[in-house]
Amino acid sequence: MERRETALGDIRVLDLADEKGLYCTKILADLGADVIKIEKPGGDRARFIGPFYHDEPEPEKSLYWFQFNSNKRSITLNLETADGQEIVKKLVEKADIMVETFPPGHLDGMGLGYPVLRGINPSLILTSITPFGQTGPYKDFKASDIVGQAMGGIMYLAGFPEDPPNRLYGSQAYHMASVQAACGTLTALYIREMTGEGQHVDVSMQEAVSIAQETAMQTYDLRREIRRRTAVSGLAPAHPGMGTFECKDGYVNIFMLTGLWLILLDWMESEGMAGDIREKHREVLQKLDDLFFIFGLAMNREAYDRFLKEEYAPVDEHLKAFLKSHTKQELYDGAQQRRLQLSMVSTIEDLLENPQLEALGYFVHVEHPELGASLKYPGVPYHLSETPCRIRERAPLVGEHNFEIYERELGFSKEELILLKQGGVI
Amino acid sequence: MGERRLPFEGIRVCDFTWFAAGPIATKMLADHGAEVIKIESMTRFDRLRFVQPVPEDKAGNLNCGGFFNNFNSSKLSMVLNLTHPKAVEIATRLILTSDIVVENFSPRVMERLELTYERFVRLKPDLIWVDQPMQGLSGPHKYYAGYGALITPLGGLAHLTGFPHRPPIGTGTNYTDYVINCGHLFIAIVTALRHRHRTGRGQHIVMSQLESAVSVMETAILDYTVNGRAHFRDGNRLPYAAPHGAYRCKGEDRDCVYITAHGPTPGRKNDRWCVIAVFNDEEWRAFCRVIGDPPWTKDAKFATMLSRKENEEELDRLVEEWTRERSPEEVMLLMQQAGVPAGVVQDAEDMLVHDPHMRARGYYVYLDHPEAGHTAYDGIPFRLSTTPGQLRRPAPRMGEHTDFVCKEILGMSEEEINQCYVEGVFE
Repeated sequence: MERRETALGDIRVLDLADEKGLYCTKILADLGADVIKIEKPGGDRARFIGPFYHDEPEPEKSLYWFQFNSNKRSITLNLETADGQEIVKKLVEKADIMVETFPPGHLDGMGLGYPVLRGINPSLILTSITPFGQTGPYKDFKASDIVGQAMGGIMYLAGFPEDPPNRLYGSQAYHMASVQAACGTLTALYIREMTGEGQHVDVSMQEAVSIAQETAMQTYDLRREIRRRTAVSGLAPAHPGMGTFECKDGYVNIFMLTGLWLILLDWMESEGMAGDIREKHREVLQKLDDLFFIFGLAMNREAYDRFLKEEYAPVDEHLKAFLKSHTKQELYDGAQQRRLQLSMVSTIEDLLENPQLEALGYFVHVEHPELGASLKYPGVPYHLSETPCRIRERAPLVGEHNFEIYERELGFSKEELILLKQGGVI
Repeated sequence: MGERRLPFEGIRVCDFTWFAAGPIATKMLADHGAEVIKIESMTRFDRLRFVQPVPEDKAGNLNCGGFFNNFNSSKLSMVLNLTHPKAVEIATRLILTSDIVVENFSPRVMERLELTYERFVRLKPDLIWVDQPMQGLSGPHKYYAGYGALITPLGGLAHLTGFPHRPPIGTGTNYTDYVINCGHLFIAIVTALRHRHRTGRGQHIVMSQLESAVSVMETAILDYTVNGRAHFRDGNRLPYAAPHGAYRCKGEDRDCVYITAHGPTPGRKNDRWCVIAVFNDEEWRAFCRVIGDPPWTKDAKFATMLSRKENEEELDRLVEEWTRERSPEEVMLLMQQAGVPAGVVQDAEDMLVHDPHMRARGYYVYLDHPEAGHTAYDGIPFRLSTTPGQLRRPAPRMGEHTDFVCKEILGMSEEEINQCYVEGVFE
């Protein structure tokens, strides 16, 4: 597909981002922008993050690199050299967006601060993604993903109360910082259509995470109560039939709402797995279907424990046996037919076999000619009918586009390039 | 440009979304200048309106819920009973005066009401129509029900989060709703707005919440499709860092109320932790200096990254012996001064009240709501230097702007409006 059929086909992005911002520039690249990844000579640090293709730890085989750099081009450039800085200035002349993740003030130290860049190109949008933003007492603090999750308040909410708080899988603080940065960058790009002017977008990973605390901030503000991890969704008070349950081949997540217990009972009975619940424990089900009873129960630990032990136990026993007799897929499909709130806890295999993702064409194959292989990737999160977003090309090799950009576009001669190479600039 | 304007001034959004993943996206549009008209009915109101937290003396008040209010700043609220034919007609007129329509119902609902892209694109080709269904507008699970609590496990994140000896209980929140799915939606909408500005053409955006959630699974999918390796949850560990985790710290000498699975529970504020992340030898040496170079740090068991990974359980125990004696703030500051990444595992009180950095940056915003009072909102998550967004108004009370929308936007007469009230169109 040609870039111009995409939404951002006319936009050039200079990508000076580390792991915090790689997903931001991937979002822009998949929407069609010409993203030029600026790597240090020898290759970007992210190339050394695993896992690796066939477990061969080489810079051209990092799956981490592949995941976050599809559709980008790559040049190598040493920003610590005066020549390197001059080249960045040249690139800025024709760029629309620069995304960077250096500590605050670092670009200024290289003579590439926002005022300088704006002087070169007033329509440039500079997006800075840092752990704590450009200002404030912690602005120079160092942070990896786990620090972002901790300081942003979401880690405190995850896990069992008796365990340490849990970090969410998959560098979610980096993902959130990147998503918010892409939101800010595109907002700046939109208003630029009207004003012709660029601006500086300041994204703090900590702030980017905050709203994912769900109701914790408001709970403190309105009630002076501190939400903490509860081993179930902390949003609703615990009640029977809610949470993560074991089944035949894994786990399902259930959220039994009041009014649904008899539907569940019918299902269990249709398979002869409800025992004597209907005759002997009908009253318990009626209580479970009563919203006021459930809320009252949730607020009284003693009454809750007594109900569990003295009344709910037989229902619980049958329910657990029923769940254990089925696969997660059977439970998920069966529950959905009955409008019960139940989903499977998908493993990665489950995702690859999910018939809905298959039908939507979510996973895509991307050619890697150097590996002689076509790899199956996760696709893109949205579908735009007129300006399709998709992965067109694999991530670039180290400096793959040096010739294209330095010689053809910037007009450096062969001799100059040899000098720059010897000087460790490119 | 001389005078500052908000980026989306002049853009009108007809907003049928409810819960979180849709409303946060439209809140971001509203906080940056769009006129967002949120449509609810008295029976099908946004369910977040009655979810906790609500102030003690406002129980049952649908305008005072902090969950709802936080996600609906700067919007207008209109009440329309879409089971009434006249209401559908009014919605149709409103859609035709809008630039963007957003909905996140089950596909069944909009099909039944005939409020679909296919119908409106013929009437208004520059309309941006946005569907945010759970699982897509086609495919075998198109009608499967669910919301954030089910999408997070379904999308794979729950399976990989938490300690390996524990069941996959997930993130403790409906995680993907709050930044990932609403953020992706916002990205698609603003991209389409720019395209429309340049070409005059609208388009149809479909964002299935499942696809969006799976898109942030990092390398778990490639490692499986390429190497056949199925990731498993591994607590707070990372393959290339040690120590790397949350360590218990000294509690505070004061009372507080924690919300446990059984509601508010008075106790001492002693559930306090700090994360520390050491990625290389330089950070390791700095870490050792900070904790006073105790003899165990010289042990060969901890001399290299490989040996630290091998003996990580023991290492974590030793680290915690040191952190237990200190407040998490002290641990963080000492580590940061030495250049070691570290941070307090902050709870919401820490974030909202105590964190001097959050305060200095003024992230949280307090707004005066006519019924909920002076209450806190999440601020703007990205700061634009010349056209920054702002929370222009507190969340609207249900139906607060029904008359305004009818009169000022749709040009309805007083008589027509009154007739609608009588017929129950605005219920």
